[in-house]
Amino acid sequence: MVSDPTVEAMNAVFRAEVGPMCGSLVRITGDFDLAEDLVQDAVVVALERWPIDGVPERPAAWLLQTARRRAIDRLRRDSTYRAKLQLLTNGWAPDVRSDPDDRLRLIFTCCHPALAREAQVALTLRAVMGMTTSQIAHAFLVSEATMAQRIVRAKRKIVGAHIPYRVPGADELPERLAEVLASLYIVFNEGYLGSGPDVSTSRDLCVDALWLCGLVARMLPEEPEVLALLALMRLHESRRATRFDASGALVLLRDQDRTRWDHAAIAEAGALLEQARRLGRPGAYWLQAAIAACHAEAPTFDDTDWAQILALYGALVRLNPGPVVRLNRAIALEHVAGPVPAMEELDALRAELDGYHLYWATRAELLRRFGRLDEAADADRRAIELTDNPSERALLEARLEPTVIRAIGANSN
Amino acid sequence: MKYMLLFIKNEEAVLDEADQRAHYAAIDEWFAEIGRDGKIRGGEELQPSNTATTIRFQDGRPLVTDGPFMESKENVAGFVTIDVADLDEAIAIAKKWPPKDQAVEIRPVLSHDAMPHHPAG
Repeated sequence: MVSDPTVEAMNAVFRAEVGPMCGSLVRITGDFDLAEDLVQDAVVVALERWPIDGVPERPAAWLLQTARRRAIDRLRRDSTYRAKLQLLTNGWAPDVRSDPDDRLRLIFTCCHPALAREAQVALTLRAVMGMTTSQIAHAFLVSEATMAQRIVRAKRKIVGAHIPYRVPGADELPERLAEVLASLYIVFNEGYLGSGPDVSTSRDLCVDALWLCGLVARMLPEEPEVLALLALMRLHESRRATRFDASGALVLLRDQDRTRWDHAAIAEAGALLEQARRLGRPGAYWLQAAIAACHAEAPTFDDTDWAQILALYGALVRLNPGPVVRLNRAIALEHVAGPVPAMEELDALRAELDGYHLYWATRAELLRRFGRLDEAADADRRAIELTDNPSERALLEARLEPTVIRAIGANSN
Repeated sequence: MKYMLLFIKNEEAVLDEADQRAHYAAIDEWFAEIGRDGKIRGGEELQPSNTATTIRFQDGRPLVTDGPFMESKENVAGFVTIDVADLDEAIAIAKKWPPKDQAVEIRPVLSHDAMPHHPAG
């Protein structure tokens, strides 16, 4: 992804500074809504000023000072905030960021299960990562007004329903951490799947998600699923450069140039998985990451350890018996046991996955193996109808044409 | 912070006598546990929604009709108000509600002390 060094530097500052600042302000004021708004105001001003003036030498102090000025303006206008102004004047020194847990509290509050998932994601990106409402709206392809409303509603609920600002206790932690990880993975996937080769946005969601997951891993180093998710993201990221060809079409795993994969990242992911395995039973992220690692570590596509992948998918299906996981398992099954049992499994999944483009794309591949070219072409057409992603469409359209030509040839013989 | 827990049940489901005894025994235990810490601020079980009467206002004139406000298989069957620290505590209490065929809606109670017009300091 091409991006301006100033933009990169600014994003790095926001990632590093916004979470702790917002977290400590929530703690001091006891008002999530106010604190988060002040920080967001400062981010918006920074985005206007820094490209012109340059990133200040002490960006954290600059942001804090700007937020403070904004706070005073706002508090002057609104008498009910006067008591909070007192708190801010007393407690708001540049060394305000004294409690490292603030950021973790903030993440758990933003990803509270009483908030809708899409609101969790948006709030986390705003309050913890310093993304603006406009950037988030752009990333998730909704209007800025819709996104703003989503955020306002969520914040109103945090305040109104008294969602606490704390790290959950040990008994709740697994469930609450699962919420956080699900939100982080959505952010990552949005960046990974949503972006095409030419899309250059001002924030790379994959980088943000990786950074945030790394942060959670440092703060909760004994949680295996955090390490596993981090490994999973690194593994996806390691292949990112090879996912598109020069024309922007998606390149399948089998056809990707493995020499261009990031082998240092793959090795690092392997170490994370090993570390996670020692901490506890393999969870869903661990299994997915282990599958991704099997692919990443195979020197060629033909060397892929499909038996191992099939076993891992088997474990994943037991843990999470959804149709998409079963579809993926069917692909592994084809490589281990041939196309017939794989096709049986696909037939069984048809009703549930009828509207899923990858179901039809997978089915088309299998039908080609059987030489059922007319049906393969129909399945590819169905997949094309069902996807909006230009890179996926490009791949499907590119392979549809030779299938149709072969089908015509076969039919005329 | 006060929350009202609304217990929502499918009124078509009928329990036999033994199940009903177990149902009330479990609920009594739940009340005893929550009540021990002084967190309950009153609550009631309601008669079925076919005993409900709804008053609507048309052009300001009251109109009395038979039945609940919303016709549904699932209706509020009871409520309890609790006074706890925050939503997490309310969620923890609601999760322990014994009849697993019911749903529990948690509604924060509006506190007029925290209204914006309240003089600060």
